[in-house]
Amino acid sequence: MKVTFPHLGTMHIFCKAIAETSGIPYIVPPETSRKTFTLGVQHSNECICLPFKIILGNFIEALKMGADTIVMVGSGPPCRLGLYDLVQKVILEDMGLRYRWLTIPPRLTWQAIWKNYEETKELKKELSWKNILLFPYGLRMGWKKMMACEALEKLAMKVRPREVKKGETQRQLKKALSWVDEARSLRTLNEGLERGRVLIQETEQDPYRTPLKIAIVGELYTVMDPHINRGVEQKLGELGAEVTRTSWFSTHILRSLRKNKADQASERIRFFEASKAYLGYDVGAECNLSIGEAILRSQEGYDGVVHLMPFACMPETTASGILTRVGKDWDIPILTLILDEQEIEGRIQTLLEAFVEMLQWKRKAA
Amino acid sequence: MEEKGRIGIPKALMFYRYFPLWKIFFEELGWRVIVSNGLGKRGRLIYFEDSCLPMKLLVTHSMDLKDRADHLFLPRLVSLHRSYIMCPKFRGAPDIVRLATEGTVSILDETIDLRMREHSMLQSFLRTGKRLGADEKEGKRAFQKAERLFTNFQKGWEDRINQLPTRQFFEIDIPTPLPPPPSPSPVKGGGELMESPSFLDVKPVEDGCRGEKPLFRVAFVGHPYNLFDTDVNKDVLSFAKSLGMRIITPEGLSEKEIDAQVSDLSKEIYWSSGREIVGSLFHFLSGGVDGVVFLTSFKCGIDALLQEFVRRRLKVRGGSSIPLLILSLDEHSGREGLTTRLEAFRDVMEERKRSNA
Repeated sequence: MKVTFPHLGTMHIFCKAIAETSGIPYIVPPETSRKTFTLGVQHSNECICLPFKIILGNFIEALKMGADTIVMVGSGPPCRLGLYDLVQKVILEDMGLRYRWLTIPPRLTWQAIWKNYEETKELKKELSWKNILLFPYGLRMGWKKMMACEALEKLAMKVRPREVKKGETQRQLKKALSWVDEARSLRTLNEGLERGRVLIQETEQDPYRTPLKIAIVGELYTVMDPHINRGVEQKLGELGAEVTRTSWFSTHILRSLRKNKADQASERIRFFEASKAYLGYDVGAECNLSIGEAILRSQEGYDGVVHLMPFACMPETTASGILTRVGKDWDIPILTLILDEQEIEGRIQTLLEAFVEMLQWKRKAA
Repeated sequence: MEEKGRIGIPKALMFYRYFPLWKIFFEELGWRVIVSNGLGKRGRLIYFEDSCLPMKLLVTHSMDLKDRADHLFLPRLVSLHRSYIMCPKFRGAPDIVRLATEGTVSILDETIDLRMREHSMLQSFLRTGKRLGADEKEGKRAFQKAERLFTNFQKGWEDRINQLPTRQFFEIDIPTPLPPPPSPSPVKGGGELMESPSFLDVKPVEDGCRGEKPLFRVAFVGHPYNLFDTDVNKDVLSFAKSLGMRIITPEGLSEKEIDAQVSDLSKEIYWSSGREIVGSLFHFLSGGVDGVVFLTSFKCGIDALLQEFVRRRLKVRGGSSIPLLILSLDEHSGREGLTTRLEAFRDVMEERKRSNA
């Protein structure tokens, strides 16, 4: 058995940690590249959303490298994410690739547990008691690594707009993330995290800058994965904007586990309430939250909002229509970037440069 | 009865299934129902948001009505099935229209969610009635009458769409024609075929099929608004009829027949329209028709995903011998492209019939 999982931001670091700690063989798909895009596009329909194509591309590459068990997070209505597995399974079958599929239940319901039991029945035979015993420890390790990655990324978002040498923060962040990735025990992980923190903070900074404040909102996959959004977060940071986003693995995992008491989760409720002025119903996925966050960010004194969505994303299309009005009503510039498989990195760079420049003028005029 | 005012119903989306029901309900309550004009030849589409064509048409039609109607009827269609849902865009549709019309018209946007008792069709219409000043008794009476007549209306759907021009499909005052007699007497294909003489020139009538008994049984599958909205599909149905096709739609299939095709999937398709489309595609492709045409809107999320699924699954299962034509429609599709493809499709069906004979 060799498990594999799709790429999404720093997800491979903690997925790897879970598998490694509990001694389960795994294959990390090659980093999302042009080839991944091509494979995904070749084997799907043009109007299917981009995450579907990329995830499919990741799977194809991993299966060709010898993986045989796909672990994929499940989801439900109303967006298409809930049916990814149905369609991807038949596409892989049609391509003649052999695989087994394991769904991580999105919510702990009896139905999900039953499905999980059915799917793992065969897999369990291949696992030793040692794997099973170590699994909770693996989960703990994975969780810790995930939190460590998030802490480092959040720190980098703060440092980046103040860096003196362009691109230095990103280099330090990469190094720090690799230390987290390499840690084999909780002790080395903590050490790695601390060293990483210091390293990122040591980036030469200009303390007199007052960076612009920009919030990134939108569909979670495009917000969280730098390959898909072509590094919007990094680009904005290097253009001199302090970026925030509320989509993190921890928020989404805690939300599905119904642990809504955490600060981040209650923020989501606040966004949802704010969106009610424009949307009378929960459209699903991040639609309402994108709108609510844009409204609240304008009240909190943010300079602008960047809204990310994959081409033809169902809930976010509604959001983008409404956001044009939100921007006018609340006097906050909103830039919607629709992402697909085309080579749009240069275009995004230009758009972001113009957007940031416009925000700077706006700030000066005020 | 004295007329209380005008209810505007945009000719878009689920208009193309439920209009008769809606119309009778409001007329019973003493309101006049007006519908929007089609885009026509010179109509201009309003691009308020970057969605699929049917959604853009909803905004366009609503804008057309906003100055003429006292209320716009735009129910928030969350679910039209006891366990499955609608496309998520439907949930925000009334809000999009509210923003596009800038609040200049009152919008009746009661939620319909058949998964929940408090949002059943009846409850939702009672609430709508209440907003129009009707009490529960009046509302209930009006809804029951509307429902009864609507159930009646749905019978004989196949004859209706095959014998009436497309624009009359949903006019409940026009009775459904009787099924054509089995005698070889020529069947009138409906006025609209004759309306555009270009159709007659498209292809010389070699086999004399036009005006005679239809030669092919062809299933047209898709969302009802893709099938019946001539602004979306450039009236592909009447062209198909003029080519000698008898049209069959998923409306004629029972839920059981559809469920039989999709119940064994590894994951349940949770959109009611998606289920209907996949189920009916598999159903028709397993036999009983000469060809299947799948009409889809460009950028329709549900169709894009499920179309890939249907294609791949057919391939994995060894395919179907029945020809399948997928027509993707948007505001740029021209009639010529559609007619060419449909003619070619007819030739395929003809060839298949000949080789099977």
